[in-house]
Amino acid sequence: MATDSDDLVRVDFAFRRELAEKVEGNLASFCYQCGACVGDCPSARYDPEFNPREIMLKVLYGLGSELMREDSILWRCTNCYSCHERCPQQVKPVEVIISLKNMLADRGIIPDTVEKVTHTFETTGRTVPYSPAIDKQRERYGLPPLPPVPMEEIRALLADEPTGGGDA
Amino acid sequence: MKRLAFFPGCLIPARHPAMEFAIRRTLERLDIDVVDLPGASCCPDPIYFKSKDKVAWLSVAARNLCLAEELGLDIFTNCSGCTATLSETYHLLQDPELRERVNQRLRRIGREYRGTIRVRHVATVVRDEVGYDAVRASVGRPLEGLKVAIHYGCHLLKPSAIMQVDNPDNPEVMERLVEALGATPVRHRNWYLCCGKACQSEQVPLHMMRDLLQTVHDEQAEILGMICPTCFGQFDHGQAKVSKEFGLDFHTPPVYYFQLLAFAQGVPYDDLGFERQRFKPEALRRFEAA
Repeated sequence: MATDSDDLVRVDFAFRRELAEKVEGNLASFCYQCGACVGDCPSARYDPEFNPREIMLKVLYGLGSELMREDSILWRCTNCYSCHERCPQQVKPVEVIISLKNMLADRGIIPDTVEKVTHTFETTGRTVPYSPAIDKQRERYGLPPLPPVPMEEIRALLADEPTGGGDA
Repeated sequence: MKRLAFFPGCLIPARHPAMEFAIRRTLERLDIDVVDLPGASCCPDPIYFKSKDKVAWLSVAARNLCLAEELGLDIFTNCSGCTATLSETYHLLQDPELRERVNQRLRRIGREYRGTIRVRHVATVVRDEVGYDAVRASVGRPLEGLKVAIHYGCHLLKPSAIMQVDNPDNPEVMERLVEALGATPVRHRNWYLCCGKACQSEQVPLHMMRDLLQTVHDEQAEILGMICPTCFGQFDHGQAKVSKEFGLDFHTPPVYYFQLLAFAQGVPYDDLGFERQRFKPEALRRFEAA
């Protein structure tokens, strides 16, 4: 836990502000810690270290340093959306977790498996790398070759928003 | 005849072309006019790319929706992940501020998202546009006595307010679709568990899959009825991994629903690509001999 030398919790407000600016990142503010997200969470059931209620609590306390790190617990979420379904406050814990992952990515901290898939997408417009063997397989079923993806359009969409401009 | 724009995504066309073949073949028999969508990209995937940059993710997804809007057609997908991305985009972009932010990006490529079309999953297209009775009528060889354990996966159903497919606590669409083939759907005790593919942990998916496969095994199901290509991979090659890890012998072949439908409609077993699976649904052969 982030503490001062005298063991007081120090809330990282910059972290909370940064999260609040992400799409659906501010939803954690509505969390009243009821724990409805925990009961159906498969990661919580199979991994004693993972608890969506505790992740929301760390967000509320602004304990950014515990979440913004290599090997962050956030990546152990299964993305099953049960917490989204159960939350009585519409916090959408999984979406808060995804916003936190966006913050990790902004810092260049991203697991290799995730980086590999996103790189394939950013360079080819697909998440499965193309190979001629794919079209050969498709031909067997009377299917045409994979159609091309207009990468100039995809690249234009992926470019960052100008700062101070459309980023509101 | 209902016309719909087809969004096949990445995984099915590239890794499982037999699934795409089965969808096109069966929908033709069910009088759905499948219109291709030139220029479509990855949806993009709701796990990896969304984790990196949600605004860019929404923008690329909105571009895919624009392509169908330009044709004036609702869009349907065959992958639960694509359905999740496109449905969530439709939902989130009802917010005018966020839509404007995404449209600022789309203007770079001369496009505008207007929110005029709906996103459908192929299972609901069959349920709502074709109907269970018409599916039953299309079946040339009923799969009587075939026990099919249903695996819904997560993203077809949740979040239900956005997906609007079925009740995630007690769904029935897959059971009804399997019944329409003459087969017997089985709801095993751990039916609601996730496949674990999107979890960046070794232990969580392994243990979860073990518990799930154990209850499939307990029900003596002959095949696992699948509707998501990501779950499919977990249950095919992943099933062998789980067995090896725990010294167990799980071997229930997963079958994507539309391949099962194609087979029931009369497509030969050998034309459906089952030989590429780690676990082959040989149980289907008995219906071919009949």
